[in-house]
Amino acid sequence: MASKNESYLSTRLAVLRKTQNSDGGWGYFAGKSSWLEPTAYAALALAGEAAADRAWKLLSSWQLPDGSWKPAAEVQGSSWGTSLCATIAMTRKEWGQPLQNGVKWLVGSSGVESNWLNVAAARLRLVKQERDIGLKCWPWKPGNSGWVEPTVHALVALKQASAKLSSSELGSRVRMGEAQLMDVRSRDGGWNYGSPAALGVDLPSYPETTALALVGLQARDDLGNDLGKAFDLARRQLRETPSPMARAWLTIAMRLHGVKPEELSGDLQADLMITGIEALAAPEGNYHVMQTTGVTA
Amino acid sequence: MNSKRRDFLALAGAASVAGFAGFNGGREAQPKTMSKFPLAGQTAAVVVVKAASYSKDLADAMLRGILECELDVAGKTVLLKPNFVEFDPNTCINTDVAVVATALEVFRSLGAADVQIGEGPGHRRDTLAIAELTRYRSEIPNFDEVFVDLNRDDVTGVKGFAGRDPFYFPNSVLSADIIVSLAKMKTHHWAGATLSMKNYFGLVPGSIYGWPKNELHYIGIDTAIVELNRVFGPKSFALVDGIVGMEGNGPIQGTRKQAGVMVMGSDLAAVDATCCRIMGIDPARVGYLQKAADQLGVIEESRIEQRGEAIKGLRTNFELIKQFSQLRLA
Repeated sequence: MASKNESYLSTRLAVLRKTQNSDGGWGYFAGKSSWLEPTAYAALALAGEAAADRAWKLLSSWQLPDGSWKPAAEVQGSSWGTSLCATIAMTRKEWGQPLQNGVKWLVGSSGVESNWLNVAAARLRLVKQERDIGLKCWPWKPGNSGWVEPTVHALVALKQASAKLSSSELGSRVRMGEAQLMDVRSRDGGWNYGSPAALGVDLPSYPETTALALVGLQARDDLGNDLGKAFDLARRQLRETPSPMARAWLTIAMRLHGVKPEELSGDLQADLMITGIEALAAPEGNYHVMQTTGVTA
Repeated sequence: MNSKRRDFLALAGAASVAGFAGFNGGREAQPKTMSKFPLAGQTAAVVVVKAASYSKDLADAMLRGILECELDVAGKTVLLKPNFVEFDPNTCINTDVAVVATALEVFRSLGAADVQIGEGPGHRRDTLAIAELTRYRSEIPNFDEVFVDLNRDDVTGVKGFAGRDPFYFPNSVLSADIIVSLAKMKTHHWAGATLSMKNYFGLVPGSIYGWPKNELHYIGIDTAIVELNRVFGPKSFALVDGIVGMEGNGPIQGTRKQAGVMVMGSDLAAVDATCCRIMGIDPARVGYLQKAADQLGVIEESRIEQRGEAIKGLRTNFELIKQFSQLRLA
């Protein structure tokens, strides 16, 4: 008889296998068009299976000439999901040109708040900034500001890539990205989407983004008490949040930091992206695909 | 069945059978012009109904307002767009669940072919978890079946939106015959006020534009509000929950403010202008309403035909943050 943990994982993997679209991808919901994000999490959760190979074949066809990935077949333009695709490529040990192009694009991508014009305006105090815009981070899509979640996924991808594709520029972007995460932390010790205050008033953290920031700050034991406070908050959030997505990310973050989380439980979600993240978070799940060490110099 | 519900259903049935000829956006029909201000000189109808609480006679008040607006929904697909951008138990960020549940029942009773609820929260990734916290999932029957997550819906590109070609919108939004902006009456620390027009930020899919939907801020908040309403305004109806609104540092961190009204109409600019007057805000000083005036709708008081309650006795000044103190209505 399967243990509770095995059952949690196996039911989710079974749903993913059953709901894969004929093109190899997954929609956010069963029967809907394939999107990069649910496809990437499903492919990572099912790594090693034929379903993951089919998913990767589809995602590979979405890579653009500049090295980035578009978010869906019918949607034009580069997206933050480039980070997830780079992570998949490295999980598959495919270090060739497609990955290198993706990594190059990530290293060159940053939020527009940190372009030279905005930095100059901030330094001249022509505009008031609630955060240090000298610290480059990553946007959801080009032409926008940088935020926590896309920054975390870029950090994971670039730190993993540094094992074989290291460069001073990559190292610099990782260090700035980590510093930016610390800069936008909410006063309660966690993170929201990336704005700790608005008009001088503190904004609270969210459990899902607190978890993600902790994923982005792996191998930063030097942060000591700062991360300790965040983990105290994360434990409380894990008990209190009604969000299966947040619980899954909090669990992944704890596992990656060697902290034993509470056992996951809960009903299956119709949202296949959440199902994929939950499968990654299970004790026998593939959460380690998000594991990073420090930047290899 | 209690008598109130029986009366409500009888009224709804009558409306459904009788139908209402033509949906003209609540404005008197005028010849089309190529003017920069195509609506100059036109009038619009706005209905204000009193509602002291979320429990008493809400359906009846809502139905009366919709019928006064002469909105015909028979045989049409309707998308209800509430505001549940995020959740804080200490204040009132969201369109109250009672308003959403009642609207679902009312629009069904009016003969709509299908009624869905759709929202794409701007800050939080797990939409259904927010729906849980706002009690939408527990108090709206079969919520998961009627709800569409606009952040994760399939999309289609639209040309000509704020110079972004294409700009993507959820298919559920594009295919709906009527979108009902079930907005919350709130002050807003960037836009001055967030009402039925600003509520359409939630139509933009996070799957492409992220959390928050930063692209709209780079377009410019006022311009983005106007652009969204240029695309979707012609098939829209507004129903603003002003029973308890939010004042001060809205739309997230403000405080509760009882206004005791619901404001409805098919001209969303006119509805928002009327809400502003109730809130003690001068609509002519609100950036997005300045841009929308006579292009998308009517904001001049003298050209808004007030039905239902007269707004004079309903004004209750919403506290404004310092940055917007100049918006105060004289």
